[in-house]
Amino acid sequence: MKLELNVLNIKDVQFSEKTDIINGVLYINRREIQELLQQDKRLSKVEIELAHPGESCRILQVSDVIEPRARIGANDTDFPGVLSKHITVGAGNTCALRGVAIVINDQNAVSGPSHDPKGNIIDMSGPGAELSPYAKTHNVVVLPYAADGVSPNDYKVAIKLAGLKAAVYLAKAGKDLKPDEVEVYDLPSLPKVSNSMEHLPKVAYIFQAYCTSFPAIQGEPILYGDSLRRLVPTLVHPNEILDGALVNPYQGMGMETYAIQNHPLIKALYQKHGKELCFVGVVITVSQYTEPERERSAAIAANLAKSILGADGVILTKSSSGAPDVDVAQTAQMCEELGVRAVLIMWGMSQDGGADSSVVFSFPKVDAMVSTGSPLRQVSLPAMKRLIGRPVTLPNGAPASSEFNLRLLWISGAVGQLGNSKLVSVQY
Amino acid sequence: MVSQGLRVVHYLNQFFGGLGGEEKAHIGPQLREGFVGPGKVLHDAVKGRGEVVATIICGDNYFAERTEEAVQQILQMVTPCRPDILIAGPAFNAGRYGIACGELCKAVQDRLGIPAATGMYEENPGVDLYRREVYIVKTAESVRGMPDIISQMVALVLKLVDKKKIGRPAEEGYFPRGIARDESSDMNAAERAIAMVLAKIKGAPFESEIESPKFDKVKPAPPVKDMASATIALATDGGLVRRGNPEKLDPRGATWLRSYNVKGLKALNPEDFACHHSGFDTVFVSQDPNRLVPVDVMRDLENEGVIGKLHDKVCATAGVAASLSNAKKVGESLAEQLKAEGVDGVILTST
Repeated sequence: MKLELNVLNIKDVQFSEKTDIINGVLYINRREIQELLQQDKRLSKVEIELAHPGESCRILQVSDVIEPRARIGANDTDFPGVLSKHITVGAGNTCALRGVAIVINDQNAVSGPSHDPKGNIIDMSGPGAELSPYAKTHNVVVLPYAADGVSPNDYKVAIKLAGLKAAVYLAKAGKDLKPDEVEVYDLPSLPKVSNSMEHLPKVAYIFQAYCTSFPAIQGEPILYGDSLRRLVPTLVHPNEILDGALVNPYQGMGMETYAIQNHPLIKALYQKHGKELCFVGVVITVSQYTEPERERSAAIAANLAKSILGADGVILTKSSSGAPDVDVAQTAQMCEELGVRAVLIMWGMSQDGGADSSVVFSFPKVDAMVSTGSPLRQVSLPAMKRLIGRPVTLPNGAPASSEFNLRLLWISGAVGQLGNSKLVSVQY
Repeated sequence: MVSQGLRVVHYLNQFFGGLGGEEKAHIGPQLREGFVGPGKVLHDAVKGRGEVVATIICGDNYFAERTEEAVQQILQMVTPCRPDILIAGPAFNAGRYGIACGELCKAVQDRLGIPAATGMYEENPGVDLYRREVYIVKTAESVRGMPDIISQMVALVLKLVDKKKIGRPAEEGYFPRGIARDESSDMNAAERAIAMVLAKIKGAPFESEIESPKFDKVKPAPPVKDMASATIALATDGGLVRRGNPEKLDPRGATWLRSYNVKGLKALNPEDFACHHSGFDTVFVSQDPNRLVPVDVMRDLENEGVIGKLHDKVCATAGVAASLSNAKKVGESLAEQLKAEGVDGVILTST
């Protein structure tokens, strides 16, 4: 499949009379986008706010971040199975607005076992901004409110759809414009992929995209709109992941739709394809939390990598934490047992900076791990002038715009589990 | 301006102090002026920054048999020397010597507030006991390479004196102290993972950024001989707390251990107890705590005569990604407590 991303570099976002892109500035007709999103009867209203890099601004209860994308072809639709009927994505041309992000605010979001009502946050300036890639994008914050009688479950689905619709609506403004750059992702099918690359090591990616440990959200769209609760490991083309086939699950920790659309590991594998390695494909899995199901899933995934993709090595990433860590480690162990070398992108669960036993598994052949930084370490954030989101108070009574400490994990994008983190947890 | 005239005190055992071998291991601490034996290497290594002003020699058995007393005696001898730095050993693979060096370094750090360092071979029991609190330079098993070891120890303590950043364990030659710090890399995790998998495929060496825990083998206790007259306790890492969690106990990490009196209770009452644990949905346990800690079932077994008695106390912590060291600490405290309370067996319930 060959995908071409027509990238438009956006340097500013402003409200205006007409939604348009002129000289690198995205203008948004606020009323028009609100009316579009308010068509969903599960929502009583949708507010839209803008937050710019460098502003003293804090966004609360971040549920997901999405890059504006719109497929350009005549009969094309976007986020198939979610916003539209099913089509296969990952081939053809898609317009992408780079430097802008949709940020979905979830009025009910909480984070952590203590149900912190601030949820995930993005600070647009200060030390918090240095830790998040979403402090560097011009953020169009979508704030949907539930209509009367709408269940929390339905609200969660409705806000996801609102964010995706907003992403498509904005990107459509750039459909007919000449792109600033074109990113090409071209990977043929298996019999041809290693042509003239026979001497290069074959590397596959095992992508644990969803964690079944959490209660199911009815109707939650993840893979082509399917909610993935009972996924048997299967193959997908990496372009499908880049082009909207996969939407971040509600519980995705350290993962956002934006990161999936710009998947750092897939991009890096593409970059090195034909040079240092041959990228043979992607296995997609969900984590299991009972032993027999985990063993089965791990074994199927490992065999796909070994016997179908013919991988010499695999890299594995995970979604969420806890049981998924064991799941992905078990999959790595099974790969190694089949002779496929495995590397995990993992994080340490230490809360106090202790390096000893910071992971919750110990498989003998799982000895190669790259870290994403320490998700549970405490970070101090200063006060911000402006607050976007539900204005909650801190335990000490101060407003959420004040200074506080929070775990790195709750800063959106800070500990990317898909490989974008430049933080390394170093042993001292 | 770097401080000069630093006063270094050196600690040696009876052998390195030149008093003799095993037959002198009972000798108590003795103070000598200046350096002794291998202390000359140390003295040369600190030239320009200071000197070895005194050496303490102590028998390994003396220290091992009355550790706290020996530490206090040595601190009393050392304090009038006005030391700026303590160097102990290196102890190589000598176990009692290693433990003495580790214990003494820890004591001068904590109680005198001065930097200290020692050196040991990786299998010396002192390494695991003290590496988290004391800088222990890696040595060979046999007594060799003294000048390099001493210069590494000196480099470390001088950095501490000068308040300079200490580099990574591999760079500076010490055992990892079990601390993880987040630092920035040029390459993102994806790029580092690709480099690592290519190295692995090639069979080239690589360094994992995270280590899996290493478990030691624990010999199980012998089985309970006579269950019908045994006292059995219930304990859990499922986060059983008093309703409302008044003490604000952590929902993870095994950072606490509590005992709840269940004497005379037929079952745990949800009005009195709740579940505070960040690793699973606690609703069902909070509705009925016996689902986590089955006091009700144990009472039945007690009445039926299957067990002699349910212990009066139920013990709890909250697990979830607890570090090995915390889990060990809680486990050891729990075992000590239950043993003292006359318990014959424990049933640990988990999630």
